[in-house]
Amino acid sequence: MKVHINDVDMDFPQGTSVIDAIFAAGYDVPYFCSQEYMSPIGACRMCLARIGAPRKDKDGSWILDEETGEPKIFYFPNMMATCTTQVMEGMVVDTLSEDVKRVQNGMVEFTLINHPLDCPVCDKGGACELQDRSYEYGTGVSRFDFDKRHQEKHHPLSELITLDRERCIHCKRCVRYFEEVPGDSVLDFIERGGHTYIGTLDPGLPSNFTGNITDICPVGALLDTTSRFRGRNWEYKHTRSTGMDDASGSAVMIDGRTGRIERIRAALNPEVNKTWIDDGTRFGHEYVDAEDRLRAPMIRKDGELQAVTWEEAAATVRDRLSGLSGKDIGIALRADATLEEGVAAKALAEALGTGQLDHAPRPAASVVPAQNPASLTDLATADAIVVVGDVTEEAPIVDLRIKDALKGVTPPELMQHGVPIADLRLKEHPVFHREKLTVAAPYRVDLMKHAGRALQYPAGGETALFGALQALADAEGEPELDEGQRAALGMSVEDAAALVKRLKDADNAVLVYGGFVLATREAAASASAFGKAVGAKLMIVGPMANSYGLELLGVGPSHERYAYPDMLEGSRALILSNLDPARDPDVRRMLEQKDFLVVHDLFLTETAQLADVVLPAKSVYEKDGTVVNLEGRFLGVHAAPVEGGESQDFIGLVGALGEALGQRLEGRSLRSARRVLRKRFELDPVELGPEGHLHRPRSRQSARVAIRSREAVEGNVLVTPSMLRIEYLERNPHLLRLSGGPSLRIHPDDAALQNVADGDAVQLRVGGLLRRATVVVDDRVPPGLMLLPTLPEQPVGLARADLSTLERAERELEVAG
Amino acid sequence: MSDVADAPEAARPITSRRDPRYEVVMYRHVGVENAWTLDYYRSHGGYEAATKALTQMSPSEVIDEVKASKLRGRGGAGFPTGVKWSFMPPVDGRQRLLVVNADESEPGSFKDRYIMEDDPHQLIEGMIIGCYAIQATKAMIYIRGEYVKGYQRLVDAVREAREAGILGKNVLGTDVEVDITVHRGAGAYICGEETALMNSLEGLRGNPRLKPPFPAQAGVYGLPTTINNVTTMTSVVHIITRGADWFASMGTEDSKGTKLYQISGPVKRPGVYELPMGASFRELIYDLAGGPKGEAKGFFPGGSSTPPLPWKDEYLDMPMDYGSLGKAGSMLGTGGVIVIPKEKDIVDAMYNVVRFYAAESCGKCTPCREGISTWLPKMYQKLLAGLGTREDLDLMEDMVRNSRGTAFCPLADACAMPVQASFKWFRDEYEYIVDHGRPMYTKSDWWEA
Repeated sequence: MKVHINDVDMDFPQGTSVIDAIFAAGYDVPYFCSQEYMSPIGACRMCLARIGAPRKDKDGSWILDEETGEPKIFYFPNMMATCTTQVMEGMVVDTLSEDVKRVQNGMVEFTLINHPLDCPVCDKGGACELQDRSYEYGTGVSRFDFDKRHQEKHHPLSELITLDRERCIHCKRCVRYFEEVPGDSVLDFIERGGHTYIGTLDPGLPSNFTGNITDICPVGALLDTTSRFRGRNWEYKHTRSTGMDDASGSAVMIDGRTGRIERIRAALNPEVNKTWIDDGTRFGHEYVDAEDRLRAPMIRKDGELQAVTWEEAAATVRDRLSGLSGKDIGIALRADATLEEGVAAKALAEALGTGQLDHAPRPAASVVPAQNPASLTDLATADAIVVVGDVTEEAPIVDLRIKDALKGVTPPELMQHGVPIADLRLKEHPVFHREKLTVAAPYRVDLMKHAGRALQYPAGGETALFGALQALADAEGEPELDEGQRAALGMSVEDAAALVKRLKDADNAVLVYGGFVLATREAAASASAFGKAVGAKLMIVGPMANSYGLELLGVGPSHERYAYPDMLEGSRALILSNLDPARDPDVRRMLEQKDFLVVHDLFLTETAQLADVVLPAKSVYEKDGTVVNLEGRFLGVHAAPVEGGESQDFIGLVGALGEALGQRLEGRSLRSARRVLRKRFELDPVELGPEGHLHRPRSRQSARVAIRSREAVEGNVLVTPSMLRIEYLERNPHLLRLSGGPSLRIHPDDAALQNVADGDAVQLRVGGLLRRATVVVDDRVPPGLMLLPTLPEQPVGLARADLSTLERAERELEVAG
Repeated sequence: MSDVADAPEAARPITSRRDPRYEVVMYRHVGVENAWTLDYYRSHGGYEAATKALTQMSPSEVIDEVKASKLRGRGGAGFPTGVKWSFMPPVDGRQRLLVVNADESEPGSFKDRYIMEDDPHQLIEGMIIGCYAIQATKAMIYIRGEYVKGYQRLVDAVREAREAGILGKNVLGTDVEVDITVHRGAGAYICGEETALMNSLEGLRGNPRLKPPFPAQAGVYGLPTTINNVTTMTSVVHIITRGADWFASMGTEDSKGTKLYQISGPVKRPGVYELPMGASFRELIYDLAGGPKGEAKGFFPGGSSTPPLPWKDEYLDMPMDYGSLGKAGSMLGTGGVIVIPKEKDIVDAMYNVVRFYAAESCGKCTPCREGISTWLPKMYQKLLAGLGTREDLDLMEDMVRNSRGTAFCPLADACAMPVQASFKWFRDEYEYIVDHGRPMYTKSDWWEA
């Protein structure tokens, strides 16, 4: 479609909106209601322009202008909203004339008559679309001399989001966002006309993706409560990095000021998270600035931990390790360590001559698909999806990309100015094609409400489920399933057969699974085999941000008995980075017996309190490095300016130790670690663009050593994935208030049996670990099973709780009183 | 000048039944006791048109007949009905829907009300024919929430028709399926706009939707939908019975058939009158309604959203059709004439109109929410409080100009255009109130004999 915009002629594909044509041509029009990746609705009327087009005569030829002989341009009688108008062949667009300017002035004036103009005290000031547009397209004068509308100025929509109803300009982005992106319709306009305001019917915003509305609000009406009144936009240092709270690799913008992280916003990565992040990633950073953060190394002198320099701490480690042989020393990192830290850890293990190296949590089965891996774009364009597990908690962005697939609109092509502002294929009140999606889990998960088929199978029954599906996939004609297989399906055989057929017939089927399947090798093998049988691509959701990368790099033990947590028993000395296994009283006793314990962490955890040397760690926001997300995309992690004292990441730790040992270890610095990565992956981490690089190096050999298979536990607790990082929840005050702390979800019958009630604070030992939680009685939990969120030391899957240890905190208090 | 008798009883609408010059077609049963029963309707030739359409004509023949009649939608916009029906996509297995817009909420319009109250079967018959033409098996009537009696009569009539086999799987003994649901609105003017009506039917907020897609492509629940006005449907009954030629023989060049005109305001016999298209305002106002009670200075030609015209011969003698009014800078709208008496101050009268639109603005788009719904009523309050200035008048004109043609749906225009027309014809009254601090006319009691 040839379009003439002011003085520029350009070609656009059919269906392009005029506003995108204007921006692509290098011109500007103001707009408030359109938003990337959301439906254009033409509500703010700021983007009006004068538009004309030639017309065809009845015989199909252009009607010509009698004077010029050119096709005559027929202008629309009214100014047209360019966001809701498609380009047409020969269209003429005028955004610069006096007529257009007059309408724009008038529209700015209308928009401002009820806006409080409290910019000096508004957090959005300096980054406000309304402010910018008023300067650019307004007259600077208002002729409205009446009282402005007065409404609530500090309305808490939830613990995390505050709404200022006076500032709202009714662009409807937030309402549409909830309807179209996560599909949780929790907000709407209330009242009408000049009295219209945004609100909810019930208090709170029940969704995992609420924070995004603070990013897209064009004014300061919707603000992130955690960062309200903390700084001005021009004072923040913006650091683009990668979200480290799950395996999705979402792009984030970390806004820091005076050595603190004030807020995290979503950044654009069109193939990963688009412009959305989940609330765990957005609001889960407050722990970084907690008062009790470790800021200097400490060594135990006379039974007390005392602050020392890094040199002294490193020398102590060198001296204490010198008497030990390699097989006595264990090294374990948390699975959100960067690839560079992984290189450093491997170098350190080699220098110490130990094979006891691991990252945790590391599931029993591999997180790297053995065949046919799915990218997030594959998922977003899939025509059949099976999810086993709870992706909304495990890697929330996967949930959103599944909803892209359900909407059935393929990701837009980028234009000269980036993501199209008004993608006319997107419609308000979209239809989610639920029939594409099947969700299976041992309990009711959030994504089930969007699933055409939702089934609950018995916890721990993943192997049987995939086995039965495999039998259906293999069967020619009438499938024969035995009683056990029928029970494992959680749905009728006909339903299951229909599902298998749908997957086989699909052009682009994706099988998504996470921790529940990865918990046993058998389940993972049967899932992978089923995926192969129906020709589905695999998307495996690993437990943490770099589970994929650390496995790829081979940060693992030389023998399965050296794996974490077995090394806690087998070694005489331990170096633990960001892990806190001493929550288990048995492990605690074991650690007390160790010759030497080094803990590298942010806080003085229970484990750190036992340590001989405590080294202050950098948080995930303070590191530079590289991670690999669940699709195999290498993504850069960049350090935000956070005041962390003398804290160091694992590279710094290895560098200091190497210096003390007098060795030049690989991974002593970022540069040296990256030299190793360049060789290992044929990819330069320094050259990774902001969108990363989807790069699946051929695995040279299966570097992976499995965790020793455990006896199948007769579980009474299902450890579930959680969007919130439970290990830091106590130090994230806003998320703590929102969630009420880690919850032990229990069926009413079991609650009665255990004599606990909703809201009780309890503690009990689950799989050895002493866990504290708040009881939530919920009849959607399967009877005989309790649900408890995961910790790095307690991977997702079935676990055994010792119910005799169940104690109510109140009872403790009574005793104490 | 007319020999028409006075109104029979106050509660009954006056129709032109008593005027020998015009035959009453759509309103022939209105005002007759028990006309709303199936027995009455059948004994007066009811459902013969539907039987004829379903047994002797194909759906496309019905559409062609309606096209040939040149019937234009009676809801206000005047879009040719047959053409609208032919926009429905080919049958593809999806549910197809016919929706009747009975959300008659334009001030000055009350023609549909009496059909639904007194002759609901006529509407049902028209809907059966419409459904057959567009091959829809499901029809809905979106009736204005305030029309309680009409709603009850319609529900009863639909039940009667269903029990008699007129609705359901086998309409009138054929294999055609049609069923009707009656849905009550919740009291929003904007829900008379077809896309807002669809949102409201789906249980969503009554906000207008983006067009395209037009209802024929993606209407209610995304299904192919045709939306017609009540009297469009009842016109179809008579087009089928008497033929397109009969219908097209009446009216003017661009506007055919008969139409129900309504007249309100201080005239001797306000009511609904069925006249051929193109009858003049003078005929309606003087011959049928008996003329204004006192001196008049202007009138709204087709409901409160149409720009008012001054009381001049050139306008009074203008034919009431789509084209002539367009040329005069106004619109036929729903044909609801509202007479403005001379002693009603125009500023106060327009404030009344503006308040209505201000209250009914849905709040979706900026010019309507902030201009029409917030700013404009405040300006009128200022004028009426005697605090206005000449600059305020210029400001009002400029602001109204900014609201016109810039809003998402026609509601803002429906308010802006009458206001602009009032400035055009009666600016002296606006100037009087700002110069003197009080209105030119102060009469407020309109109830004396």
